[in-house]
Amino acid sequence: MSLPRLPIRRLGGGLVTLLLLSIAIFAGAQLLPGDVARAILGPLADPSAVASLNHQLGTDRPPLVMYADWIGHFITGDMGQSYAYRSPVMPFVATALSNSLKLAAVAFVIVVPLSIGAGVYAASRAGRWQDRVISIAGLSLTIVPEFVSSIVLILIVGVWLRWLPISAATRPGTGALEQLRHLILPALPLVLVLFGYIARMARAGTLQALDADYTRTAVLKGLPRHTVITRHVLRNALLPTITVIASQLGSMIGGLVVVEALFRYQGIGSLILNAARVKDFPMLEAGILTVGAVYVLATLIADGLYTVLDPRLRAGVA
Amino acid sequence: MIPRSVLLDMLRRRSGTIENHVIDEFLAGRLDRRGLLRHGSRVGIAVPLLAAILGINARPAKAQGVPGSTIRVAHQVPSGAVEPVSVANTGGLILLQQVGEFLVRDLPDLTVRPMLALSWAPNSAGDVWTFKLRPSVKFHDGRIMNAADVVASMDRLADPKNGSNALSAFRGVLSLGGARRVDDLTVEFHLDAPNGNFPYYVSSGNYNSIILPADYAGDFEKTFMGTGPFKLERFTPNVGANFIRNPDWWGGAVLPARTEFSFFNDQQPQILALQGGQVDIVTQFAVQGGLGLMNDPDVKVLKLRSSAHRQIHMKTDSPKFGDKRVRQAIALTLDRPGLVAGLFRGNAEVGDDSPIAPIYPSSDPAVPQRKKDIERARALMAEAGMAKGFEATFTTMRVGEMPDFAVLIQNACASIGIKLNLKIEDQSAYYGSAKAGTSDWLDSEFGMTDYGHRGVPNVLLAAPLLSTGAWNSAHFKNPEYDKQVADYVAATDLGIQRAASGKIGAILLEETPVIFAYFYSHLSATGSGVTGVEKTAISQLFLQNAAVA
Repeated sequence: MSLPRLPIRRLGGGLVTLLLLSIAIFAGAQLLPGDVARAILGPLADPSAVASLNHQLGTDRPPLVMYADWIGHFITGDMGQSYAYRSPVMPFVATALSNSLKLAAVAFVIVVPLSIGAGVYAASRAGRWQDRVISIAGLSLTIVPEFVSSIVLILIVGVWLRWLPISAATRPGTGALEQLRHLILPALPLVLVLFGYIARMARAGTLQALDADYTRTAVLKGLPRHTVITRHVLRNALLPTITVIASQLGSMIGGLVVVEALFRYQGIGSLILNAARVKDFPMLEAGILTVGAVYVLATLIADGLYTVLDPRLRAGVA
Repeated sequence: MIPRSVLLDMLRRRSGTIENHVIDEFLAGRLDRRGLLRHGSRVGIAVPLLAAILGINARPAKAQGVPGSTIRVAHQVPSGAVEPVSVANTGGLILLQQVGEFLVRDLPDLTVRPMLALSWAPNSAGDVWTFKLRPSVKFHDGRIMNAADVVASMDRLADPKNGSNALSAFRGVLSLGGARRVDDLTVEFHLDAPNGNFPYYVSSGNYNSIILPADYAGDFEKTFMGTGPFKLERFTPNVGANFIRNPDWWGGAVLPARTEFSFFNDQQPQILALQGGQVDIVTQFAVQGGLGLMNDPDVKVLKLRSSAHRQIHMKTDSPKFGDKRVRQAIALTLDRPGLVAGLFRGNAEVGDDSPIAPIYPSSDPAVPQRKKDIERARALMAEAGMAKGFEATFTTMRVGEMPDFAVLIQNACASIGIKLNLKIEDQSAYYGSAKAGTSDWLDSEFGMTDYGHRGVPNVLLAAPLLSTGAWNSAHFKNPEYDKQVADYVAATDLGIQRAASGKIGAILLEETPVIFAYFYSHLSATGSGVTGVEKTAISQLFLQNAAVA
């Protein structure tokens, strides 16, 4: 298969996946107990008020009509109106996505170089105490749930030492540096969770590359160790690591509900959870499809990077 | 100082039959000082006059503290649009009340005070109430509030076509068209039936009933238009809301320069934010997970008695719970003081299987308190032919201490041979569609439901327990009970209310369709340097006198 057609096929597959996902979400939302107006007005609301609000919102229509109406607008770029907020969904999703991306970016900026560096260093010291410390520490940190590490960090850094703000949210118009300061503490639990995982992948890939013939050849050619590592080992060692990082991006965008709740951050995970609670179907669909789109995009980027880094793929032999 | 007898004469001359009856009750010793304040204010006697008669200072606390503070509040995120007609959650109602005001303010001691209405009085039948409005009150856009705004606001809430959350409170009390303009500053409420507690229906206790401009078009979040001490500065859905002082407020100078409400999804981050110095107030917290605040010397806990409770219903028409002796036996297994101490660290009051909580002045202290008595419970089970017990499912929801309480009920029932299987659900699954046949709340034969605070017990007496009650999970049908509730609701006189309350308590103790084990207090917290915060048991915050040291 020629190279330009590969991403197009992947993109097409991604779109089909998103369409199927939208149907699955819609079907799942129908199974949630209660109805929209009851969720908004509360369980003790008067039945006539519930019926009236359902009519106003259009949630008393047959499910297929509702879905057809929604998908018809969605493919033209209109995400619809939120039932709960009675305003367009798009600004909510855009803000939440932007917030989630910022938090994920801060976490990645910290964790990717840190964990890759640690993994490569551990591999270069394989079997020694440095390797054991990095491996055991990484594994231990991965096991600690985010809500535990978050609360510990908040208590120590935010409440006792008061070095960093507890809340990730900032006022509109806050400068980039101040926003960054607010995001450091929430990013740390994510760094702790991802560090061990990425470092282990980097370590394993590096060990494999260090044992490879091309590395032995480079060493025997008399190249400096630094050059061998950066030009020959890393390029090959990091291929699986890149895949892992790309697969983590999706969960970093949509799966941070606990961290978002603890650090008062309106990311897309919280948006989806709240939408599910009140059966806000347009918000739920838009939120989950946005996360799905991020997954698809991240996979495409990972494929692209893989292709760039692996000459066999560029040559079409793999 | 004017002698009390002169004040009483003055009061009698300007009062109608109902007001004079309240004075008679007080002079006869059937109404204590607190009762006179509460019932006098309810039927429209001016509180300063009542206070003068009692020789007490009833003026609102004067603002103390440094003006110009910014008060930062941690608060539950509103679960939907902040829209006065439909808001039904704590997150939304507190925001309405920052900018909006009510005809009447319902105070923590359950007295009512003038807010946008200066005075009110019922007719002799108690089915028409006349409210005189405060003159020269301005909306935030400068327009003067008048009777047309009040009538439109009430019609909006009473109209079944509007999806109004207040409709459940207004049902059978006030219908569309019941509010009528007499002149610019006078409104008459023509009720569906006599109601002695009507001022509470247009008070802050009915949180949807803020007065909006007559031409309000349903776009509240754009302007947060009201008459209150604060005006909207900025509202960001899901994130927070900031308010600034309203220089034109009819109540005078507002102490804080601004207030900032930050929205949180959970309790724990709010507590940490207060302890970390990033907010000044946490609007509400539960004992579960909140002990850190109660033990923190840098935190002030604000406690308010309330009528919030859990109702444990037993289907009175089911084979297992149909015999009232079985229901009584189950009620006798509970160690109520132990529940108050264990689940709430003492921040609750023991219940007596009636919705008329101790906080209500109409509660009758002569009704005997039910206490744990396992021997008696076993005897009752034997008399009912259930000596060997039975197996049943106990259904409830995952809210606050309820799952823990369910386990305690399971253990208590085991002591009389009843094996309970617990079914603890998400709140939305428990309520379902809130219609019989598709709702565990209404269908379960043995279950527990969360009920919030009410300023008067009318709704609690009616919906879950009347033969025709919409929330009657117990399927309780008792004509005598229905009659006593009708008498209670119609009464404008405390003596009649208390007499009915005693009879209601006796019927409910005997029949025990629902167990009311406790009424828990409302807890808020502030930093130690915060002063002047006034709150209600439904989480409203009045911050016009607040300051941070």
